[in-house]
Amino acid sequence: MGIFSYLRSTILSKVVMAVTGAILVLYLIIHTAGNLLIYFGRDTLNSYSAFLHSLGPILWIFRVVLIVSVVLHIITSIKLKFENWNAKPTGYALKHYLKARFSSRTMIWTGIMIFAFVLYHLLHFTFRVTNPQHYSAEFFQMHNAVSTVILERFDVYKMVVLGFKNPLISLVYIVGVIIVGFHLDHAIQSMFQTLGFNEKHYFPTLQNLSTILSIIIVICLISIPISIMSGLVGGEI
Amino acid sequence: MKVTLHIWRQKNAKAKGRFETYHLDDVIEDMSFLEMLDVLNERLILEGKEPVAFEHDCREGICGACSLTINGIPHGHEPATTTCQLHMRKFKDGDEIWIEPFRARAFPIIKDLVVDRSAFDRIIQAGGFISVNAGQAPEANSIIVPKDDAETAMDAAQCIGCGACVAACPNASAMLFVAAKVAHFAYLPQGQPERKRRVLAMVEQMQKEGFGNCTNFYECEAACPKQISVSFIALMNRDYLKATCSGEKHLLQTQQV
Ligand code: HEM
Ligand code: FES
Repeated sequence: MGIFSYLRSTILSKVVMAVTGAILVLYLIIHTAGNLLIYFGRDTLNSYSAFLHSLGPILWIFRVVLIVSVVLHIITSIKLKFENWNAKPTGYALKHYLKARFSSRTMIWTGIMIFAFVLYHLLHFTFRVTNPQHYSAEFFQMHNAVSTVILERFDVYKMVVLGFKNPLISLVYIVGVIIVGFHLDHAIQSMFQTLGFNEKHYFPTLQNLSTILSIIIVICLISIPISIMSGLVGGEI
Repeated sequence: MKVTLHIWRQKNAKAKGRFETYHLDDVIEDMSFLEMLDVLNERLILEGKEPVAFEHDCREGICGACSLTINGIPHGHEPATTTCQLHMRKFKDGDEIWIEPFRARAFPIIKDLVVDRSAFDRIIQAGGFISVNAGQAPEANSIIVPKDDAETAMDAAQCIGCGACVAACPNASAMLFVAAKVAHFAYLPQGQPERKRRVLAMVEQMQKEGFGNCTNFYECEAACPKQISVSFIALMNRDYLKATCSGEKHLLQTQQV
């Protein structure tokens, strides 16, 4: 029991889904913005990445919050889903949906696919084990008042460009991100409803914003493999 | 007009049910859906067959007794209309109509299209009331209620407890029903003293009855014959969180004799 006693309450379970989901959405927005730095060139992206890694313990605080969120989000969703299947043992011979949408009806499936995608993503770019030939260091110059020094840092830019030049890897990312988009389309407005923010005069707008934000995130993220495959970005590598 | 009916027939709670098909040739457009079923039942009785069991009472859209999932939608496709108020002119000549009971584990089938909705009664018993000494009605203006609050409370109080929300919800969640009951007291001064205990007690009873969890499909709101808004569910979530965080224990059930 202990911290998992919230699972006994249907509403507290939903609140945990919404809060952990919100943390993941915020993370995804920041992550997307960071990824877009690739359009500012090799130096910008690589120094951003070096900056993140230089955060040390602070980076780990973020990582722990994310890991805890993911774990709670998944445990809670699975518990809710099993209860829901159990609550409706027999469906209708003919069912006509009025408001439930494709994205809301497929949350568990898009969620599971996102989990698989995120695992691959971590192995590819974070633990860097799937494509050893793409991983290398870069030497760069740093100037201060007295001298210029040559330093070494990990070449994220090259890793990303070489990765996305492979059409299969790009395809996995494009499909993965579109699946995330469907999950978000339902999730963003859903967390407001769950946390108690729904008044008739703004909720329809909020639902549209949920879809729009999901589409923006998807476009930003899939633009990267598309730009690289078409040679707009990273042609020099 | 002519219609073909596919109706769920099930002898009792234990029996295995199945669809049976009936053809009606003499349906009048002005009949209500239930009157159309009455015509079918008259014929079945004349033929010495078992009539179709279905529920109804007021037949004027206010009691919540009628049910039926008609072509995949509780109370049929006409928005804001109970089955008893749905008329055959809303169908076309030659239509095929699928008629199923409200489906949910918490609403076990009693016979044919009749389900046991007493879970709702137990949720009301858990907290859907205010504790006042009965007696002479108090002076109406002694407690002032702002107009907007009175209107919102009335919107929630429109719920007739038919269970269409549960029937429509893919998770068989009863959140819209419970939220409507919680909200109609939450907007009124008389509901304030027991506000926290009420929401905790009613939600707990709802869970005990085996209803599913809300995942914000909003099917309930779309199927509700009284168009109760899911914004009341948001209100209930808020109230439930506040009550939980304030450490409130619900004593409502133990208070009852
Ligand atoms: C990019 C990663 C992810 C983000 C940003 C995210 C975000 C969210 C948010 C905000 C919600 C809505 C919470 C609510 O109000 O109910 C949600 C619901 C859900 N998520 Fe995720 N999620 C992510 C990954 C996952 C993963 C890996 C799973 C794997 C099981 C998953 C499964 C679910 C399920 C089943 C729901 C409940 C859907 C429903 O309401 O029926 N999610 N997600
Ligand atoms: S029979 Fe009373 S509401 Fe339909």
